[in-house]
Amino acid sequence: MPPSGISRIRFRRGRLKRLAARGLLAVLGGGVLAFLVVPVIAVIPMSFSSSMVFELIPAAPGLTQYRRFFASPEWMDALGRSVQVALGTTVVATMLGTLAALGLVRIRSRWRTVLEAALISARIVPSIVFAVAAYFVFSLVGVVGTIAGLILAHSVLAFPFVVVLVTSALDGFDRSLEEASQSLGAGPIRTFFRITFPQIRLAVFGGALFAFNVSFDEVVVTLFISGVRSKTLPVKVWDAINYEITPILPAISTLIILVSVVLLTPLLLYRRRA
Amino acid sequence: MRRRPDWSTLILLGPPLAFLLVLFAVPLARVVWGSFFAPELTLEHYRRMWTVPVYGRVFWITLKVSALTTLFCILLGYPAAYFLASVSARTRQALLLCVIVPFFLSVLVRNYVWMVLLQRTGLVNQALVGAGLIAHPLELMYNELGVLIAMVNMLLPYMIFPLLSALLAISPELYHASSSLGGGAIRTFWRVTLPLSVPGIAAGGLLVFIVALGFFITPALLGGPKQMMISNLIEFNVRQVLNWPFAFALANVLLCGTLLLYFAYIRVLEGRLPKAGFP
Repeated sequence: MPPSGISRIRFRRGRLKRLAARGLLAVLGGGVLAFLVVPVIAVIPMSFSSSMVFELIPAAPGLTQYRRFFASPEWMDALGRSVQVALGTTVVATMLGTLAALGLVRIRSRWRTVLEAALISARIVPSIVFAVAAYFVFSLVGVVGTIAGLILAHSVLAFPFVVVLVTSALDGFDRSLEEASQSLGAGPIRTFFRITFPQIRLAVFGGALFAFNVSFDEVVVTLFISGVRSKTLPVKVWDAINYEITPILPAISTLIILVSVVLLTPLLLYRRRA
Repeated sequence: MRRRPDWSTLILLGPPLAFLLVLFAVPLARVVWGSFFAPELTLEHYRRMWTVPVYGRVFWITLKVSALTTLFCILLGYPAAYFLASVSARTRQALLLCVIVPFFLSVLVRNYVWMVLLQRTGLVNQALVGAGLIAHPLELMYNELGVLIAMVNMLLPYMIFPLLSALLAISPELYHASSSLGGGAIRTFWRVTLPLSVPGIAAGGLLVFIVALGFFITPALLGGPKQMMISNLIEFNVRQVLNWPFAFALANVLLCGTLLLYFAYIRVLEGRLPKAGFP
């Protein structure tokens, strides 16, 4: 990629002024970028604290809070449920999202835009609105507080990410290969597994990672539909923030961030390659 | 050759559409329905939010906080995007991680960390007192300031991505033209860069505003009672006072407002903005 236009602006009045302007820009722009990562950077040292007071650099750093987290049956129960729900969501959202993307790219009329908007509309609707709607309907059917209910609701939220990723992968792939395969006598299912899937599997995998991340971090909808019986990790964190001050939270926060970073890394590497 | 949608298309789209219909469209329709029919047709719940001053205040706060968040996102996002546009592609890829990675991290965790940083005994106050800048800790949260700091922090990526792609799309020839015609750096910025980045500002600003309107976690955790936004009022009506029809009406107002702005966003900006490298 050639250097962008902005970097080539010629500053008329000499090098010094140019340097000053670029320096100022770097300080301002860099400052904003630093502001963006503050919450992420700040929580990690705090999590190694063994005292009740929050310290940026702990006086006696240790793994006390992590040990407390992993030793607590209550927190482990929430973590286990979160993983269960996130795995279920990954399966449901990835399968449905891939199906939707495969169907979507077969449509060549303006209906495609309409359908695409409908399929990803869950990303636009404010989560509180969906939370109230799901809570009301789920209580009528009696799935509030169940793992299945959580998986279904999370899948609605995670599904658009899969659709977007897989659709863009399918758009970039030569569809005449599919026609060739079919004309050589392969059925649609065989064509999918031999021709189409190998081309889009990275996008499907990426969508699955996204789906897991969306579910694992979801809090607003879960707050409503988890009931008292089946709280996920973020809902337990929400309760702890609101009702009890506990120094265990920075450690849990760090772990939640770590999960997302692990999920995100392959996606970022894939993005760079693409 | 024009391909017509065939049976295989329907088989592929059927399950996801049925899934969305049952789990998304029907529940939302139930909310809209429930705001008008409880059980017979009434506009009482809408009249109430219009006539009771407390609710007017919540709407006003929601709009005000969202507008201020948008303003600060533009003011902070512009230098960040401009800086990202001015460095080499390789450096930009690395620096963009500062924007992309936090964007995908838990909103709850990021809000919690802001609570820890901004509380009376928090790091920001400790640092300010320690540096001798202030004698007593400042009230940085449970007020509008706290809400704004965290919301701007969370919504900045929505501003930076469209702005950056607008800035990168400006043809380098225009800068050469401007400077060879005698325009200095500052004049070039005002006459070339800024006008051409307006679609980016508009796209980013609208996105930030739309997402800000529905914010729930930040005002709940970092705001005081006076910072209750519409989402928090909805939650209060569902979980505390169990006034479902009123909560439905509020949710419907938020839903319609969001959708209207979103259609405006698509109508106004479609085609004017290069496709952002937005995940």
